[in-house]
Amino acid sequence: MTGLLPLSSSDITIGEHKTVVWLGMTFNIDTIISTLVAGGLVLLLGFWVVRQMKRTTEDHVPTKTQMLWEAVVGEVNKQVEDNLGKVHPFVAPLAISLFFFILFANWLELLPTELNHDTHLLPAPTADTNLTYALAAVTMLSVWTYGIRQKGWKGYFRHFAEPFPVLLPLNILEELIKPITLALRLFGNIFAGGIMLALIGLIPIYALWAPNLLWKAFDGVIGVIQAFIFALLTVLYFAMAGAGHEEHEIHEKYEDEQREKQAREAAPAPAH
Amino acid sequence: MASVAITPMESNFLVPNATFFVELAAFLLLLFLLAKYVIPPINRAMTARQEAIRAEFAELDEAKSEAHAAEEEFKSQIADARHEAARIREEAREQGAQIIAEMREQANTEAARIVEHAHAQIEADRKAAMAQLRSEVGMLATTLAGRIVGESLDDDVRQTRVVDRFLTELEGAS
Repeated sequence: MTGLLPLSSSDITIGEHKTVVWLGMTFNIDTIISTLVAGGLVLLLGFWVVRQMKRTTEDHVPTKTQMLWEAVVGEVNKQVEDNLGKVHPFVAPLAISLFFFILFANWLELLPTELNHDTHLLPAPTADTNLTYALAAVTMLSVWTYGIRQKGWKGYFRHFAEPFPVLLPLNILEELIKPITLALRLFGNIFAGGIMLALIGLIPIYALWAPNLLWKAFDGVIGVIQAFIFALLTVLYFAMAGAGHEEHEIHEKYEDEQREKQAREAAPAPAH
Repeated sequence: MASVAITPMESNFLVPNATFFVELAAFLLLLFLLAKYVIPPINRAMTARQEAIRAEFAELDEAKSEAHAAEEEFKSQIADARHEAARIREEAREQGAQIIAEMREQANTEAARIVEHAHAQIEADRKAAMAQLRSEVGMLATTLAGRIVGESLDDDVRQTRVVDRFLTELEGAS
């Protein structure tokens, strides 16, 4: 293998970022730049579509960009409505923003912006845990807030001891694992994609194009899937946090009825 | 394969640094801008288009039902007209039959009347003939008998008696 590769794999650096120290804090400047680029692209596309829609108001024929946005917005709205009962004015925009932002961030990896070994202009920002942790934090804090507002403090925390109090540690653990899996799943997928590209980059130029093309096509699909999963899980976590309230009431009502029935059946027995 | 693929780093890439806060702020800003300026117009456009499509469909349905109603009315009118025509035909047939019956009745009556009239005529003729015959035969017979006997039988009383007897005999023989 080493004969095939002109460069040794020790030249691949993993998880290394260009950093700037400011006020005693370390900033990954490359991640920040590519985040701004990805976010800027999303905003550009978004405001472009809004401008297009303002221009064509008489007929309702959408442009291609508008169709892209409407497909995503419509799908997310549907998911939110199915899971939460209505198009929640915060959850739907959050999921849409997550999807588009992650998608564009992931796709930055496909651009060949690695000029040489030291300068990678636009690495995928989702290959940095700082971004994925931040997204997971926004998501989970919103989910917890939503859950508490839906059920009240007591109702929300009582839910951790259900259906059985024994499951309390597991339920708490699950709630803490959610943001970590959310963050690390995205990070790991995109990070691994970057490593694969770096490894493919070691292949001599005359043989490089085929695996490069294949992998980039595959990586593009991975980018879509990861963005989709992140957005979908966000919606599902909201649904899980808000659900169960009515179900419990129904359950309790049923149990009460059963108890009453048993009492009625037991009462005439001594008369015999 | 070099054994030191992962070079020693100052920081573990799984541990976040201050970039986290920048990313947080960046995403929150993106979320705010999209939620405030981009997503509402898209939602509005989608609902507007759905509304337009629904309105068009409603219009279409209305037009269709109107056409159906018109067709129904047309069909019922045609059926009415057919019914009317059949009724008129039936009536005409009945009238025709009635007229024929009336005419037949009239003709029968007329025929009966004519036959009756003829019978009466014949009877009258016969009677007249009989009366004439009576007087003529009597006269002829007496004349003939007078000639043969050579004696005048002009005594009217006798003559009449003889003739009457003769005729009575004749009638009784016949």
